[in-house]
Amino acid sequence: MNSEPELLRLVGITKSFGPVKALENVNFFIKKGECVGLVGDNGAGKSTLAKIISGAVQPDAGAMFWCGEKIVLASPSHARALGIEMVYQDLALCDSLTVAQNLFLGRERISRFFIFPILKRKEIQQQAAKVLSDLKIMQVDVNKKVRDLSGGQRQAVALGRAFVTAPKLLILDEPTAALAVGQTMRVLEVIRELKNHGVSIILISHRLQDILETCDRVYVLYEGRVVAEHDKKEVTIELLARLIARAKEVPIGGA
Amino acid sequence: MVELKRKTSTFFGVPQIREFIVHGVLASIAGILIITFSLISPQFATLGNFLNLFRQIAPNLIASVGMTYVICSGGIDLSIGALLAVIGVLAALMARVINNVLLIIVVTLLTGMLAGAVAGYFISFHNFPAFIVTLGTMTILRGIALVLTKGFSIPIDPLHPVIVLGRGWFLGLPVPVWIAFLVILVGGGFFTLTPYGIYVAGIGSNEEATRRAGINVKRVRFFLYCFNGAVVALAGLILAARVGAGSSYVGQGFELTVITAVILGGTPLAGGEAKLLGTFLGTFVLSLVGNGLIMAKISPYFTGIAEGVILLFAIVANRNLRLAIQRQLKV
Repeated sequence: MNSEPELLRLVGITKSFGPVKALENVNFFIKKGECVGLVGDNGAGKSTLAKIISGAVQPDAGAMFWCGEKIVLASPSHARALGIEMVYQDLALCDSLTVAQNLFLGRERISRFFIFPILKRKEIQQQAAKVLSDLKIMQVDVNKKVRDLSGGQRQAVALGRAFVTAPKLLILDEPTAALAVGQTMRVLEVIRELKNHGVSIILISHRLQDILETCDRVYVLYEGRVVAEHDKKEVTIELLARLIARAKEVPIGGA
Repeated sequence: MVELKRKTSTFFGVPQIREFIVHGVLASIAGILIITFSLISPQFATLGNFLNLFRQIAPNLIASVGMTYVICSGGIDLSIGALLAVIGVLAALMARVINNVLLIIVVTLLTGMLAGAVAGYFISFHNFPAFIVTLGTMTILRGIALVLTKGFSIPIDPLHPVIVLGRGWFLGLPVPVWIAFLVILVGGGFFTLTPYGIYVAGIGSNEEATRRAGINVKRVRFFLYCFNGAVVALAGLILAARVGAGSSYVGQGFELTVITAVILGGTPLAGGEAKLLGTFLGTFVLSLVGNGLIMAKISPYFTGIAEGVILLFAIVANRNLRLAIQRQLKV
């Protein structure tokens, strides 16, 4: 795995929301086909870091390198164009739209009528159904509105969105929070399948066991700073939990 | 898990049932009004009266296309009544010096778009609430109409070709009805067939999620208000041509009538959904009240009372029927 080229590198990323410093001088990298875990307490800055990588939030300072080239992600569509997909913790679904419309939001299949883009409804519905059935997490009717779905089905739709195109980097922010045990196992299985296909994955989760089962490396965030970065083999759940909760007392890199 | 699956498939199409209720309630109200008024007045249920009715509500129908999607995006436009006046005045002033109808149409449409763009700019790019921004533009536009007319009505020569837009007939139907039909077809078609209808609904439903999906929500919203300004301009032009004058007092309360029709039609004020067919039913029901009262020789001063009662009755009926269905869902 170590021989794989680097896909993304963040250097000195800093982000404040008003007086609150969400991220401070964060350094991070991920290789092709690698699965990296991001752990930390609530408010540690995991989601902000993920949103910066997905282009939804712009950093105040720091640099980003994609395949070795310096980039500035101005918008989520920019990140998508590079092949970065994100499954948000809040799911980021539109309740009044159907499952199929949510899956293809912003990348609808269209044909042209003069200058007008015309939706290919049938194709969108069929592909949406295929994406969700291939995912095998939960059965969802693609013509239903999202507001009529259960929590687990919503989570499945949010995950499904990341598979409409073939992403190079997939960011999963608490992807199993609303899922039952069986479905969670299926999600972890999907992560491993993607990894085998060379997709890089950033996994944010409170379930440390999931992190250790699927990730190659783990970053621990504490109050907006990276306080530890470990190879999977170096850590145990107990150590991770200690790092997350009492990070100040553990020296960086000390296992 | 298995039970959940069974449930969802059994009650497939619940949203359609909601829509069905709204349309059903409106159609019932329309039916009751039509029967009542035809019993009182023999002239009410005649083709002539209905054609006249549709000619009168054509501006409302046209403006309601814009308002439906503005409300669907989670916004509102309170300035459309004042814009109606400005456009009417502008058309009347232009008709004095220009004989070219096409030029008048183009200039009024561009003016409407400009008015929409000003409101859209502050709403989209500066994130001010649409209610407050359009409250401001409403006052400004009404003021512009007053300045232009100095409070007087500006007549349009009845022989001027622009009058055809309001009073003309084509293939047995009034020209305003044809124009309304065209706007509905093109506007409704655009938002139904292209992805922009989904974007507008997405913005109204979850703006942040729509933005994160890579959609330029600011631009979509900005152009939506421009579009709304353009259709309102068309409505204003038709109205001025029908009345044969431009006046600064035209369109007072117009925005509320249009908003009422949109809400009556089932488009939620919070946004996320557009119910264009419901909007038309709503517009039709509201117009029946005013027209019917006049035909029945009852004081038109009752119109407001009747419209308010209908609105309240409709929302109560919609909710109760919906709750009844939801109770069934849980069983």
